[in-house]
Formats: sequence, C-alpha cells, structure tokens
Amino acid sequence: MPPTPALEMEGLTVRYGDTIAVDGLDLRIEPGETVALLGPNGAGKSSTVNAALGLFRPAGGRVLLRGRAPAEAIRAGGVGAMLQHGGLPSECRVGEVLALVRRRYEMPWPVEDLVVTAGIDGLLDRKVDALSGGQRQRVLLALALAGAPPLLLLDEPTAAMDVEARQSFWTTMRSLAGRGHTVVFATHHLEEADAIADRVVVISAGRVVADGSAASIKSRVAGRSIRFRCAGPREDLPGLPGVTAVGGDDERVELTTSDVEATLRALLAGPRSLPDLEVRGATLEQAFLHLIDRSGAIR
Amino acid sequence: MTDLLLFQLRRVGRNRQYLFFTVLLPALFTIFFTKVIGGQVPAGDYQDVAAATMISMMAYGAIGAALGATIRLAFDRSSGWLRQLRVTPVPTGAVLGVDVLVGAALVLPSLVVVALVGRFVNGVQFGSGTWLALVAVLWAGSVVFVGFGLAVGLLLDAQAAGAAIGILGTVLAALGGLWFPVETFPAGMVGLAHAMPSYWYAELGRDVAAGTPSVLPVLMLIGYGVVFAIAALLAAQRRPLHAVAG
Repeated sequence: MPPTPALEMEGLTVRYGDTIAVDGLDLRIEPGETVALLGPNGAGKSSTVNAALGLFRPAGGRVLLRGRAPAEAIRAGGVGAMLQHGGLPSECRVGEVLALVRRRYEMPWPVEDLVVTAGIDGLLDRKVDALSGGQRQRVLLALALAGAPPLLLLDEPTAAMDVEARQSFWTTMRSLAGRGHTVVFATHHLEEADAIADRVVVISAGRVVADGSAASIKSRVAGRSIRFRCAGPREDLPGLPGVTAVGGDDERVELTTSDVEATLRALLAGPRSLPDLEVRGATLEQAFLHLIDRSGAIR
Repeated sequence: MTDLLLFQLRRVGRNRQYLFFTVLLPALFTIFFTKVIGGQVPAGDYQDVAAATMISMMAYGAIGAALGATIRLAFDRSSGWLRQLRVTPVPTGAVLGVDVLVGAALVLPSLVVVALVGRFVNGVQFGSGTWLALVAVLWAGSVVFVGFGLAVGLLLDAQAAGAAIGILGTVLAALGGLWFPVETFPAGMVGLAHAMPSYWYAELGRDVAAGTPSVLPVLMLIGYGVVFAIAALLAAQRRPLHAVAG
C-alpha cells in the first residue's frame, strides 16, 4: 500500500460570491516533502491553504489531510498551521497561551526545546499585547509547532518579519523538514521558494500553472533587466554572472540578465555605486504572467 | 474545558476597566445615590430607598458584567485568536460555551459586592433567606444579558463592540430605571422603561425583596432570553467564529 499523502486535493474550488479564487485545483503532497505554493497576490494561495485547513467550505472538490477531513486531522493533532490572519488573545502572557494549546496534544513538543526552536526564549512571561510584530509571529510559530505535528501548513509565514527573522525562520523550517516533517508554505517570494522548497507549485488564477523543482521554475521566469546610472567605465559589465546583453545610453546602463539575483550580487559586491538602481520585468507579477502565457499556450 | 474556562476568567479578571465598571462603579453609585436620595426622604422611608437603590445597582453591575464578558468575543474574533484556535485541537464550540460560563461567573462578584455595600455601608435590612434569594434570582436572571452580549459580540466587529459595551450598559440602565426610579420618569418614558429587559430584571429583584414574587417579570425575561438566544444563533450561523471579517 502506498503511504497516505500528507495532503490531497481533488478539483478544489473556492468561490467568494461570483469570484472564483480556486478553480478546480488538484494537488498531492507526499509525507516529508517541502513544498512552496508560489504565486502573486490574489492567485488563490491563501484560499487554497485556508480551504485545506477547513476554515471555509469549498464550493467543490475535496481535501484530505493525512487521509482525513481537515477538521478531523487537526483535532487529531497531526496538523499545525500559521495563518495570515491568525492572532493571539489579549490580556494574557505568552506562556499561558502556549500552555493552553500544548495541553490539547497527546505528545506535545517538549517546551524547553519548542521555545528554542520557535525563537521565543525569554518571551514566556511577556504580555501578548506588548510583543513586537516579529515576536508575535514567532509565538504563532510556536503554537503551530506545539503538537510537533507531522504536517505544517504555513500561509505567508514571513510576511511580518524583517530580514534577520526571515533567515532564522527558514533555518528552523529546514531543520524541521530534515526531521521528516512535511512543510507546505504559501509565498510570493521566489527566493524563499528557491531556498527552502524541494518542490515549487506555481499557482495563478486559482490553478496550478507549474509544478517542479525550484531550478526548473526559475529557468522559466528568467530574462529581466537591471538599470542604473553609470558615468564610469563599463568594461566589466558583460562578464558579470547572468548578463546576456549590455545596453543603455551615455547616462544609464541596462543589463539584460538570465539570473537577476546573481548579477545583482556581483554588482553590489563591486566598487561601483548604483544610483537609481531599477530591476525591470523582475516583479513576480510579470514573471507569473509570463508563466501563465506559457501554460496557456500549452493548454 | 476547565483549562479554557480558567484561561478566559484570568483574562477578563485582569482587565481593570472591566472590574471598575462592573464592581467598583456600581458599589460607589450605591453609596452615592443612597446618600443623596436617602437624605431627602423622611427617616421612615430610608430603608425602602436604600434597598431599591441597592437592587438597581446590583442589576446595573450584573448587566455590565454579563455584557462586558461576552461582547469581548468580538475582540477575540477580530484579533484572529478564534481563527488561530480553529487550527489547534481546541474545539471552537467550547469557546462559545466557555464565554457563556465566564459571563455568568463574573456576574456574581458584581452582585455580591453591591449587596455587601448595601448591607454594611447603607444598612439595608433583610432576612438572610431574602439576601440569598435576591442574589440567586438576580444571578439566574443575568443569563438573559449573557445571551444579549453573545448576540452583540457575534454581530459586531471589534471597534463597534468596544463602543457597544459602554453604550448598551448605559442605555439599559438609564431607560430601564436603574439610575433614576421609573416613578420619577415623565409619563411618556414609562412605556419605554417597560420595554427594557433591565427594568424587568430589577423588578425581579424588587419582587424578591418585597416578598411578593410575581410571574410577569419572569415571563418578560424569558421572552427576552429567547429572542437574544435566537439572535445569537442566527449571528453565529451567518458568520462563523473563525471568520475574520465581513
């Protein structure tokens, strides 16, 4: 018998009034996978995650988490989640909230280790109302991990985090994935998907438009340009990583690149100042439009 | 469910504003109104004035406590806490049940403190059976306002709910004759007072204190209770607990 999928969706459809947010989505995630649901804002990622968690009833299709209906799987303690619109109660301490939730699990994550893993060391006695945005987010992570759930569903978990918090968050996620937890997260940051996920599912207009490794997805959204004002010498520019063409005029340089990140890294590491730096065609919205066009052509 | 109940009780208990409006303020009003009005009536009428004032303030405190404890549901919804709970094994239905219990439990301190002030500061004289019956009946009757608060908390978003806690308590107290006895109302306002559940709630207490229980206040309160319960059920169905807005 094949193992029960961590998550299984068949023809999932979510409607808000006349708007179709998720349009017959099929998705199967095996235990132990780390999957990014990548898509621009409004693509239907949150609706997909929320429907997976049973937060609203889909208009059609079916969702199973670890082989059970979402509410049942959550009650059984096998699922942890960070929501985009999740929150904490007022007028209490972090430790009280954590204790309330931990008690509901048969095998809760040992508290000393949970506190370190979620990065809320020293916050247990803190009043919830006095937490910073990043601290709140880490407490929400601790709640999601409280039951040491085999399946984690995270809806744009780093949205409220600064760069440092983001890095430590993803380090935690990587170590969880390494310990065999299934991690599914929605994001609109290509870099996050790239760095963490071993599988990237691109969602647009409520459908899966691409599904594969991060590298294979990245290669499909390449070809963008970097512009900045440049009065000095330009000989080194064609040799920068990723650069496929150098253009522009007397005042401005325009680099066409197949790997914006690598090119930018090289530029930033160099001695040149980069006034009026612009990355064009690099917004994910545009990249995704590009993907949708392609899949449209394939269809 | 005990842990959730204790958790919620602790949260409300820490809210100083809540304790001020539901315990301290009614107690201070009891002293103040009794001194002001009691000083203007013949000595023979003092007992009646002091008792009536105390019962009105017990009702006022209890209504505030019941509404305050339950309308807070709107805050927990708006903050996303109820949604968060929905993705843990804590049963969401238990949250509603616990809020009812918390509302009911927190009514008791309001009733007892005002009664103690009435007895020991203002010198209200009742037999011990009457004292017990008074507190018990007002405690039981407060469930109507727990239902009212739940319906309001389920219907409103956090901002409106915050305002509603103050406004509803004030309107129910003022129009229901808890601050100024209905006998002092102009004729046109008496009908309005009789349409207020707060009037019948205080009437329930006055009947017990006078030793003349009657059916009408009980029927009126049951009627209001049913209406509020239906409203709460409809509101809960229209917008699930874990919905954030809209």
